[in-house]
Amino acid sequence: MSTPPLFGKTRFLEAQIDEFLDKVSEGAIYFQRGIELLLERGVVEETERKLEQLMQLKERANELRRAVVNTLYTEMLIPDFRGDVLRLLTHLYALLDATKNVFQELLIGYTGAIEGAEAVAEVKELVAVVAQSLQEAVRGARAFFRHPEAVRDHINHIRVYESEADAITLRLMKALFASDRPLERKLLARDALEVIDGLADRAEEISDELSILAIKRVL
Amino acid sequence: MGSLLFLSSGLFLGWTLGANDASNVFGSAVGSRMLRFSTAALLCSVFVILGAVTAGAGASGGLGELGAVNALAGSFTTALAAAATMTWMTRAGLPASTTQAVVGAIVGWNWFSGSITDLSQLSRIVATWVLSPLLAALFAAGLYRLVVAGIRRTRPHLLRLDANLRVGLILAGVFGSYSLGANNIGNVMGVFVPASPFRELSIAGLVRLSGEEQLFLLGAIAIAVGVFTYSRRVMTTVGGSLMTLSPLAALVVVVANALVLFVFSSQQLSAFVVALGLPPIPLIPVSSSQAVIGAVLGIGLLQGARGVRQIRWGVLGRIASGWLTTPVIAALVSFVLLFVVQNVFGQQVYRPVAYQLSPPALVRLAARGVPTEALTMDREPVVGAVRFRDWLRRQARFGPEREALVLEIAEIRPLQIHPEGLRALDATALPPAYRQVVAALEGRSFLHPWQLADVLARQSPLWSLPSAAPAPAARRHQERLALVIDTFAAADPAPDHQPAAPSLPSRQQEG
Repeated sequence: MSTPPLFGKTRFLEAQIDEFLDKVSEGAIYFQRGIELLLERGVVEETERKLEQLMQLKERANELRRAVVNTLYTEMLIPDFRGDVLRLLTHLYALLDATKNVFQELLIGYTGAIEGAEAVAEVKELVAVVAQSLQEAVRGARAFFRHPEAVRDHINHIRVYESEADAITLRLMKALFASDRPLERKLLARDALEVIDGLADRAEEISDELSILAIKRVL
Repeated sequence: MGSLLFLSSGLFLGWTLGANDASNVFGSAVGSRMLRFSTAALLCSVFVILGAVTAGAGASGGLGELGAVNALAGSFTTALAAAATMTWMTRAGLPASTTQAVVGAIVGWNWFSGSITDLSQLSRIVATWVLSPLLAALFAAGLYRLVVAGIRRTRPHLLRLDANLRVGLILAGVFGSYSLGANNIGNVMGVFVPASPFRELSIAGLVRLSGEEQLFLLGAIAIAVGVFTYSRRVMTTVGGSLMTLSPLAALVVVVANALVLFVFSSQQLSAFVVALGLPPIPLIPVSSSQAVIGAVLGIGLLQGARGVRQIRWGVLGRIASGWLTTPVIAALVSFVLLFVVQNVFGQQVYRPVAYQLSPPALVRLAARGVPTEALTMDREPVVGAVRFRDWLRRQARFGPEREALVLEIAEIRPLQIHPEGLRALDATALPPAYRQVVAALEGRSFLHPWQLADVLARQSPLWSLPSAAPAPAARRHQERLALVIDTFAAADPAPDHQPAAPSLPSRQQEG
């Protein structure tokens, strides 16, 4: 991917970064929709298409990340912040990758781990909260580029969503282990809940990173 | 060739200025890797030269008022003293300002030559040493607030902000370089102006460079060489010494510095201020290092306690102590070097100026409203302004302005309009119409330079200067008059025979 010379370069790079963030945000939506489909209909064609979409997103995001970082370093742009941008994009890419991996794992190894209408509804709630935390991480990253003062709000939202995800997970686990299901089913369901909740934890790690970057950026 | 040898110390001083002060305009941009050194050095050199040649006259006049170093060897020694002080202090790790070194060296020359140090001008210069960092701090604080408010309102993308900052740093650097050339060329070449070896030069009738402009061009080239050869290290290490600056703060510092330099060198701005009914801005070379430090402090203080904690106060203390010691050391070095150059190398380091209250001088003084009753009319010439002033003070007490007027009118410089001088004048760039007026005075002698000026003005309107003449026209008039006076001046009285009696007014002498 070649970059246009001189004047268009900034605009082009801005567009690349925005597209990268769009991909991470789309990843959160596909993840939520995929899990909902998985819970409602099991492994069907539509569910598998969601995994495919996530994989394509990840590939494109990786391409964009490499191109942006490459241009930042070769063109010696934002000398004070290019290391921070590199770190932020790498973390967000890792989050998208983890989202894809979690969905893939659930699709392959945890089919039917969540049983019962009540549990399904609660897991959907958990996934919605986790997806929100991912969206807030993306919004926080966008704010870092344009409006660093607003980063704090997004960090706060991520933390709230993360603790909400922990609370739902805890509630689900308690209910799970209070039930009379076989132990191996309980362990499978516990693992499924843990990997979903783990995504909110990763979003929180990004919020910690963002809080430091924003302090540097605030004028 | 000999003249160029004497100019070498000025070129050395220019080189040290280029090596040190270029970092004040482009250092933060290069240090923060926003700009390549080669680009910065090229832009800096081009605009320093432009600023010096096109607008250098204003601030260099400011130093001329402090002390007119009137012999080339004296200018050489004064500049050498300033450059040596700068080099020594820099090597010793003490922050030094070229402006202060030059001012100290000129005061040393005044001291050695028995000339009067214009205390009002000196106090104006010293006031700018306090005023320029204060002004820079105010400019920087105001600009920083404005820029931050603008950024918060428009919320540009980090990359867009970076691109704009880059362009801003280039523009501010260019403006800073131009202002540095315009303001600080006075430091480098100011002492050579009264003893300039150059005559007006016309290139193919298109470009006309006065002697002063040629001097400034040479000095600016020396600055450019300093920028290219030695400023890289200073540029890459600058910035972190007093306070760590963000690229935005760096931009504000450079703009504030450039504005301060511009304020103290722009004749147009000074004229505009006068037109508003305010006192004129003193056009004096100010230290860009001091302005930068003021600007950094301005931004630091604006950020409140956090900013104050970030400032390295120890470094600031060292810098402030340098501001006091530099002029004193330069004055001492200048005095010692002048002594050595005069007595060991046998060079004339100053042209002794003689004063005499001749009858025409007394008449002119009376016409200008100076009470002359208490003054003795029949005095022999006195060599040296300080001696004459002491003699004058024994006769009568005048205020500083009247005292300066008496000195100006009593200065004698015997002039004779002789054929050799007229031939020499033909070789200069003085327009033929002006030369004809001078030629009409062949054979006449004058005791005081103002007598020649009066006669020339009576002879032709070309040589008369309307009181409302614009500053450039007045400067050209002064240059032409100085050229004629220098051409026809009799040999200077020897410095060690005093009072050296100049030839008495001949029968044809004016009066």
